[in-house]
Amino acid sequence: MRTLGCLISGLMLSLALACGGGSNPAKTQAAPAATGLAYTDPSGTGWRLVKDASSTPTRVVLNLVGPTGLMTRGAGFNLLAPASVKYGTFHVDIPGTTHSTDFPIADTGVYQLLNTDPRDPWTGDPIPTHPLEPTLLAGGVKAGHILTVGIFQKDRRATAKDSGVALARIALEFDAAAGLRAGDILPLTVLKARHQAEDIGPFSVSPTVAMAEKAHLVDMTIALGVLRAN
Amino acid sequence: MRRSRAAQAALLTFLLAGGSAAAPLVAQAAKAANPLQASARALEPHRVALAKDHAMVLRSQFGLGEPDAFVTRLSFTNTQGQAIVRLDQTHQGFRVFGGQALIHVLPDGTLRTLTQGVQPGVKVEGEPRLSKQGAVAIALRHLAPQGPMTDAPKVERVVFPAKFAGGLAFTQDPVTGKQVLDRKRLVHIQPEQPFVWAYEVRTRVHNRVDAPSELTYLIDGRSGEILRVDNALHTARASAPAQAKAPFAAPATGNGLGFYRGAVTLATTEMNDGTFSLWDNTRGTVGNPQLSGFGDDGSGWAPTGLQVWYASHDASGQMDWNMWLFQGNAANSWGDGQVWNRVPGTENSANGQTAAVDALAAMTTTWDFYANVFGRNGMDGNDTAVFAQVHMNGGYMEWYTDNASWSSWAQGMSLGQGSYPGNPKGLLELTDLDIIAHEMAHGVTDATARFVNAAGLEEAGMAEGTSDILAQGVRAYATRGAGDPGNAIPATGADWKIGENAGHGTPIRWMDKPSRDGRSADAWYDGLRYLDGHFSCGPLNRMFYLLSEGASATQGATNHSPYYPAGFTGIGLDAASRIWFKAVTENIVSDGTGSLTFETAREAALLAATDLYGAGHANVLAVEKAFSAINVGLANGQAPRAQVAFKDWREGDYVEISHFSGWSNKEFFPQGETVRPRVKVENTANTQVAWTIGGPSMYNGAESMVGKGGRINADGSWTTPMEKGWWAITATSQADATQFAEGRAFTINLDADQDLEQDAVDMGTLAFSWYLSNGLSLAHSVFNAPWVDDGDVGAFVDAVKNSWLPK
Ligand SMILES: [Zn+2]
Repeated sequence: MRTLGCLISGLMLSLALACGGGSNPAKTQAAPAATGLAYTDPSGTGWRLVKDASSTPTRVVLNLVGPTGLMTRGAGFNLLAPASVKYGTFHVDIPGTTHSTDFPIADTGVYQLLNTDPRDPWTGDPIPTHPLEPTLLAGGVKAGHILTVGIFQKDRRATAKDSGVALARIALEFDAAAGLRAGDILPLTVLKARHQAEDIGPFSVSPTVAMAEKAHLVDMTIALGVLRAN
Repeated sequence: MRRSRAAQAALLTFLLAGGSAAAPLVAQAAKAANPLQASARALEPHRVALAKDHAMVLRSQFGLGEPDAFVTRLSFTNTQGQAIVRLDQTHQGFRVFGGQALIHVLPDGTLRTLTQGVQPGVKVEGEPRLSKQGAVAIALRHLAPQGPMTDAPKVERVVFPAKFAGGLAFTQDPVTGKQVLDRKRLVHIQPEQPFVWAYEVRTRVHNRVDAPSELTYLIDGRSGEILRVDNALHTARASAPAQAKAPFAAPATGNGLGFYRGAVTLATTEMNDGTFSLWDNTRGTVGNPQLSGFGDDGSGWAPTGLQVWYASHDASGQMDWNMWLFQGNAANSWGDGQVWNRVPGTENSANGQTAAVDALAAMTTTWDFYANVFGRNGMDGNDTAVFAQVHMNGGYMEWYTDNASWSSWAQGMSLGQGSYPGNPKGLLELTDLDIIAHEMAHGVTDATARFVNAAGLEEAGMAEGTSDILAQGVRAYATRGAGDPGNAIPATGADWKIGENAGHGTPIRWMDKPSRDGRSADAWYDGLRYLDGHFSCGPLNRMFYLLSEGASATQGATNHSPYYPAGFTGIGLDAASRIWFKAVTENIVSDGTGSLTFETAREAALLAATDLYGAGHANVLAVEKAFSAINVGLANGQAPRAQVAFKDWREGDYVEISHFSGWSNKEFFPQGETVRPRVKVENTANTQVAWTIGGPSMYNGAESMVGKGGRINADGSWTTPMEKGWWAITATSQADATQFAEGRAFTINLDADQDLEQDAVDMGTLAFSWYLSNGLSLAHSVFNAPWVDDGDVGAFVDAVKNSWLPK
């Protein structure tokens, strides 16, 4: 595992490159064209993006992992990668239907995304289940090449989950057309990250002031590793 | 005693409540259009039985069995001597919603079956828990009329196919005045089983404060959830009419002086007291469902025949919601030929009678047109009496004043008194022949094709177009010369305008080139459905005009079509009318959910033309050309055109199934973001489109429902407006400028956490309010509703998908 120091130097290098003009270009031979991406996990035990085993040389799959023991009900974040990196998607066929999704976020099965009780929580009447029941799992790429993803339990009757495991996945893909050179550092920045806490109040047909006070997401910091072309 | 002041219709119509059993089929001794029809009619009961047996045999093909059956809803014998039998599908004795079979029995005994309406594999478990009364209460709670319900709702237990769950309603935003989604009536429920017990609750709102409506609710028999709402008229025929007493009154012949028709002879009735009334009791032997609510007052009156009534007015000139028969005329001489002065109390004066003279003459002509040309007995084919009520005004937003309407519920017409010249844009009294023929044709289609006439459906245009088409036939029919037996439609006499006289020179609609009004469409395009039916009928009207009169090859000519530039020869009004009448009454099967398209209409017309004239006949080819000329299908040998369509946006995803099938070309987008809508371009190598905001529907009756907003950027992307609501966007093919499609976007606010950024993190905030009955904050709902449910979740995810999915 790389040290924190390494990570910082990586960031500084990229800043220096961004400043550009005036510096003396090294007279060494240009690095060869890159053919893939490499990612070095961050250290620490807080919220972080760590490489998943399903990664390939051209597609880095990253797991969102939280602190062990922290019980949560979902999380979401906005990530900025250089335009030379593509955000990958996950093709998921919806069982029992001809439908599929292609979001840039994948569920790992930890959070309970569906309604957990076949009764209307308000009236107690049976409510239908449907293979296409919508869930709070979605993501996309906004203007400015910002990846925005989220995964949340919509049903407060489902219990909160321990965050110390892979909660969701994203993917960063090598873009052969981007002209990357081996060794190029590709800086990643988390612009916003929040999770939903365990205690948001029980289900109630007439929500209380106390519930309203809990109705906001908790800001968090996600540690990032180093992404490099190679 | 002559019939004195009639009591309020409001009180009397309640007598009709209840009974939802199908009306018995009454054998008619009616006029036939030709001897073949007359002789074949005798065999009709036998052929109906044959058709029914055949449908029962077909059950196994559709996975149906012992509990399933078919009952006759309607049968008639056409001018070719064929029996046309419409059967309702039943399960355990209850009607299956949308389930029907249409069977033609040919004179040689051959059976032709149109089974696209049959619902396969019906299976429903248990019994409903809800009572009929409970279902009505649920429907009324949602209807929430401001004024009195003058008619008791009708309720029928049915089997409901889950795939028909949906329906969409709009309401007026009290702040912006815009039409917005009515969250309360947005149907999200999807039944668990493919078929469930349900109650069909039909309501009628007809009072001075609410917009008039005939909403049909489908209520789940177990959960009480609303499964479907249709803002349309449905016509399982009205309940069995009271047995008409043989009137003592006698048929008479009166003289009338109409404003539109001039001097006419009128079939009237001499009452027991020796005076006359505007009641033609020689046509329509089966009691009218609404008039049957009136009791016998000893005057000799009965709820049969063709009757003209009037609305009376209070001192301020407002309709007081009483209705009266035109009566008490000692001389049997009616009207003064002048526009009514609209002085309250003079409704039944000579001046007030003028409109009634025009109405009765028009009703008689229209009735005879169907009897003599098509051998049809009345509007419903069952000889049911029809009434008209003239001098109507007021109501919700003056709805009745410059309007005419047909009520399936009442088998009658409301005809406005008009507001011209006080209102220069208003109309004269709505009693001219083309208007009345148009309204009465609704009675024909309501009993046969049963088009769902609701905004957002192509079917609505078919309903209105068919009424315009048949009205032209009636118009021409009225011009036939003395001695004409009247069993063909004269070649001349159609003027291809609707409401020109009532519009004091300006038609309400042009049929030759409907776009002359600046609103209607001349040809089909994807998105035509967004026009109100009175404007989306344009292509069908133009098809019919070209079919009848021919199309020119000369560019710029009114009857030149860029979709079929070569032009063609018309087949004449009689042949064109017969083809379309046959298509509508015999070949079109509406499942009651508005799924018919102009493509369906074309197929039905081709089937009718082939049946009438034989395959390959010039008239059949002309039908192909006429539809091609409105951009529907191709004529024989014609190369495929480029096509632009929003179709297949959804293919039955959650939004579509939970909202309404009409959502197949509507999408959610976040407000105030730059997005790229998707559209499909086919049959051309150049798939580029030019985007524009707005669309043809913006000028066409739908203005209040949809906006033109945001901006199209240089790179073709669309920056959506910064507000919630419906927006029209149009894509035009760069390969062929005559091909375009209008789509609908609904912009929603995704910024549930109110951090001034719309992103996926906002989803966490939806979760706080999910299914809390009162919610935590209006901001948590993408619709700014006080609660959040899967409708919000589905819409949010859809907006993310439509806007930001990586390409
Ligand atoms: Zn109409």
